[in-house]
Amino acid sequence: MQVYLPIAEMSVDAFLLVGIGFGVGWLSGLFGVGGGFLLTPLLILIGIPSPVAVASGANQTLGASVSGLIAQWRRGNVDAKMGGVLLVGGVLGSLAGVQLFALLRRIGQVDLAVSVFYVVVLGTVGGLMVMESVRAILRRRTATKRKLHEHFWMHGLPLKMRFRRSRLYISIIPPFAVGFGIGVLSAVMGVGGGFMLVPAMIYFLGMPTSVVIGTSLFQVVFVAANVTMLQAVQLGTVDILLTMLLLLGGVAGAQFGASMGTRLRGEETRALLGLLVLSVAMSLLWGLLRRPANLFSSGPAL
Amino acid sequence: MIRFALLLLLAWAGPGRAQELPLVAALSQNAVEVTTGFTGTSLMVFGSTEGPIGPGGDEVLVVARGPTRPVVVRRKVPVLGVIWVNGPSARFAGVPGFYFLAGTRPAWQVLPEEERQRNGLGLDSLPLTSTGARSPAFRAALLELESDSGLWVEDPAPVEIAGSRLFHARLPLPAAVPTGDYQVEVLLVRSRRIVARQALAFRVDRVGTADRIATVAADQPFLYGLSCILFAALAGWLGSVLFRRG
Repeated sequence: MQVYLPIAEMSVDAFLLVGIGFGVGWLSGLFGVGGGFLLTPLLILIGIPSPVAVASGANQTLGASVSGLIAQWRRGNVDAKMGGVLLVGGVLGSLAGVQLFALLRRIGQVDLAVSVFYVVVLGTVGGLMVMESVRAILRRRTATKRKLHEHFWMHGLPLKMRFRRSRLYISIIPPFAVGFGIGVLSAVMGVGGGFMLVPAMIYFLGMPTSVVIGTSLFQVVFVAANVTMLQAVQLGTVDILLTMLLLLGGVAGAQFGASMGTRLRGEETRALLGLLVLSVAMSLLWGLLRRPANLFSSGPAL
Repeated sequence: MIRFALLLLLAWAGPGRAQELPLVAALSQNAVEVTTGFTGTSLMVFGSTEGPIGPGGDEVLVVARGPTRPVVVRRKVPVLGVIWVNGPSARFAGVPGFYFLAGTRPAWQVLPEEERQRNGLGLDSLPLTSTGARSPAFRAALLELESDSGLWVEDPAPVEIAGSRLFHARLPLPAAVPTGDYQVEVLLVRSRRIVARQALAFRVDRVGTADRIATVAADQPFLYGLSCILFAALAGWLGSVLFRRG
């Protein structure tokens, strides 16, 4: 069934979109991430213009993360104070990111920038995840105990604050910086940033794993809402029909994925997610290196 | 339906009036509605002539032009010999978003070259002026891209003739057709000269949900952004309610 997307101004198969939403939702439920990093490249692959794919991807991430956030909030797994600090950084970061995106669009380098961001960020994150989880799987046998958290330069920074839920007493500068960086990335890549935020919170901020997922969802929901609003006002590229079709499949898929995820062990899940992230990065890298079939492309002049 | 319309036209342009008008033409529709289920459509241009058309007689040309917009054509270049990046670009002002040309015979066969160029009959005679990169390859690329998307069509099939005085041509409008005002011109060519022309027009409009979404997004972007956020959040919340323990 073909459906005409009013903002993308093109006709797409509705079942294909629902199917993509379901698949991405399933994976995101399985791994506990928003799945935007898979969704945006897939949308670009089926011919949705990059600006619409990025903006609608952020909008869909918002919807997909809300149900997860509600569940985590009910269990008390959200550190609202830490989330708030991350969020201030995230909102400012996404403001900067949307300006960067508008600039890239004017000079005609959106496709390049989106691809390069994906290759660099996904390549790094995916590689680290695979290495870390393989090491963890190997270490499981020897079972040496790690220290709860270690002190390094970060703990010497000023503006310290107590985060009760996270059992941390640290400077607000690192979480602010993390939030800002993720905000920029989420505006340019159309992702919520959960797949970067979760490792950053565990390894960089030293937060306990129990509150990480909930707090990252808290940040993702609000940053994605901010990106949606900025993209809608400044660029007019959010396609609500596209978002809704993706969410229709996404919310169902996430539930199936989540129930399957409980049967997988942590390290194996992380290794699989890392491989998935790496393969997306590789396919985008191939797209950049391969000689394009048509050297010319056209677009509306701005 | 087309045959009926043709008969109707024949009756209307019957004995009394056909002698006065060398050419009478009409469109099957004056408005095309783009709904959320729009997958493209086609219009019929039909009419009748005073004298016989076809081999040995007069020729009919049908040309349609859509609303214009500026377009940028970019060429990818390899940076450091590895990564393909958008490089030089040319900006074309006033590029028609839709162009269609068909005739009982191709325009270049029935009209002298300068006459054809002056009337913009044929993709190679579109008045495309560009700024930026100078290479003619950009113009050629624009032609190729627009033709591939089905928005620029030249001589897909000859204008069909029925009974030597009736003609009709199908005007294909793909799903990506831009909204706005379209001009259709029907030309009668006799001995390599345009002897009569009739201008017709139709409109392509978004209607219903598709139109409302696009209008709100353009006119009240803040309200639109807010509703996108609320709708997405609502969908997520509904999902969590529906599937709890499911």
